[in-house]
Amino acid sequence: MIVGVVVLLAVNIIFLSAASRRYSSYGIGRIAISFTAPFQEAVTDSIRFVKNIWRYYFFLVSTAKENDDIKKSLSLAREENNRYKELILSNYRLRKLLNFQKNMPHSVVAAEVVGKDSSPWYKTIIINKGKADGLVKGLPVVVPDGITGQIMDVSYQHSKVLLIIDQNSAVDALVQRTRARGIIKGESAGQCLFKYVLRKHDVKVGDTVVSSGLDGVFPKGLLIGHVSGVIRRSSGIFQEVTVSPYVDFEKLEEVLVVLTSPKKDSVSKE
Amino acid sequence: MTYFFYICVCLCLIIFQTAIMPYLPLFDRFYDLLCPFVIYLGLFRPARESIPVILIIGMIMDGILGGPFGLYVTTYVWLFIGVKWMISYLHLGNSALLALVVASGVLLENFIFIGTMAIIAPEARFPANATSIVGVQVLWAIFTGPLVLKVFDYTQKGWNRWYAGRFVKRA
Repeated sequence: MIVGVVVLLAVNIIFLSAASRRYSSYGIGRIAISFTAPFQEAVTDSIRFVKNIWRYYFFLVSTAKENDDIKKSLSLAREENNRYKELILSNYRLRKLLNFQKNMPHSVVAAEVVGKDSSPWYKTIIINKGKADGLVKGLPVVVPDGITGQIMDVSYQHSKVLLIIDQNSAVDALVQRTRARGIIKGESAGQCLFKYVLRKHDVKVGDTVVSSGLDGVFPKGLLIGHVSGVIRRSSGIFQEVTVSPYVDFEKLEEVLVVLTSPKKDSVSKE
Repeated sequence: MTYFFYICVCLCLIIFQTAIMPYLPLFDRFYDLLCPFVIYLGLFRPARESIPVILIIGMIMDGILGGPFGLYVTTYVWLFIGVKWMISYLHLGNSALLALVVASGVLLENFIFIGTMAIIAPEARFPANATSIVGVQVLWAIFTGPLVLKVFDYTQKGWNRWYAGRFVKRA
């Protein structure tokens, strides 16, 4: 019995060592693979199928939720982005105002436009500065692009501004190139008329019109607009001049109110 | 409390048309929303209740908007008188007639404004776009006027119900 076991072990070892040298299953391996592999494949595919169903269908419940969350955060990000864009634009406008303010020889107060005249016949705006900020009736209102209007009514914290495009507005002005003088009057269509300009004076389309400072309201040399039309009739002592204001009154958001007394430092410099 | 309701509605309308509507591209040539409100008061409310409201809203509008002081008071009072006169002859039951009334009111308001401008500044040129401004406003009034009147009516009825339910029963 013992001898038999020993012999069997020896034969087994010899066979294993011989087989390990040749690395061959004598075809049995191939048969086994051919037999088992399809089942393995079927089972693996089934598992994968079930896994995929779970992953792409049942798991979509959480994906849908995730999608909702992502959409929400996207809309929040969009809103934030829009706010940043607005901040950039507002920053740009305020910097422009600030630079303009620095160059102004007069003291100014910055204000925001909080309301507009709803009537198409009258052109006024409401700003968020009033008596409390030192504003009084009659003060000029400007923006870097040019003259905007004049304070016509003041409450404690708000003021009403008559725009230069209103028919009741008048600004003493002159043509920058030729110094031809006249009065800028508002028109309902957002344009201005440059009235009382003598026929003999040279005024051309494209000429810049600035404030003359002679009305005692607007400081001298502030931009008003450019000449957009000139009609010189054969009779009469004046010519008809139309001026397009530089200020875009539709997009007015911040303005500067010029306080009458010039800044102390600029007076001392002068 | 009715006056409180009227003042609240007017303030909402004034703020909406001075701070929001000018920035909306389609509504920058919309008519004055207080015009249908005055018409509503003229059509559905007693004169004793309406006149103080009309005077107050006219003065508020004169205070915050351009034009000579008293222009809006004048306009609203004449509008109210016109509506009261109109309902003594017409039975305003359907929407078409309401549209006509609101459009006429808007037209009257614009005529008063243009007339005032012509009187105050006779040397000023007649605005080139005046016809289109008035035309667009009248068209808006025709299409939206009855709806606006119905909204006022509905809001007032809702307010009255709410107020009666809350305070009158307890009293």
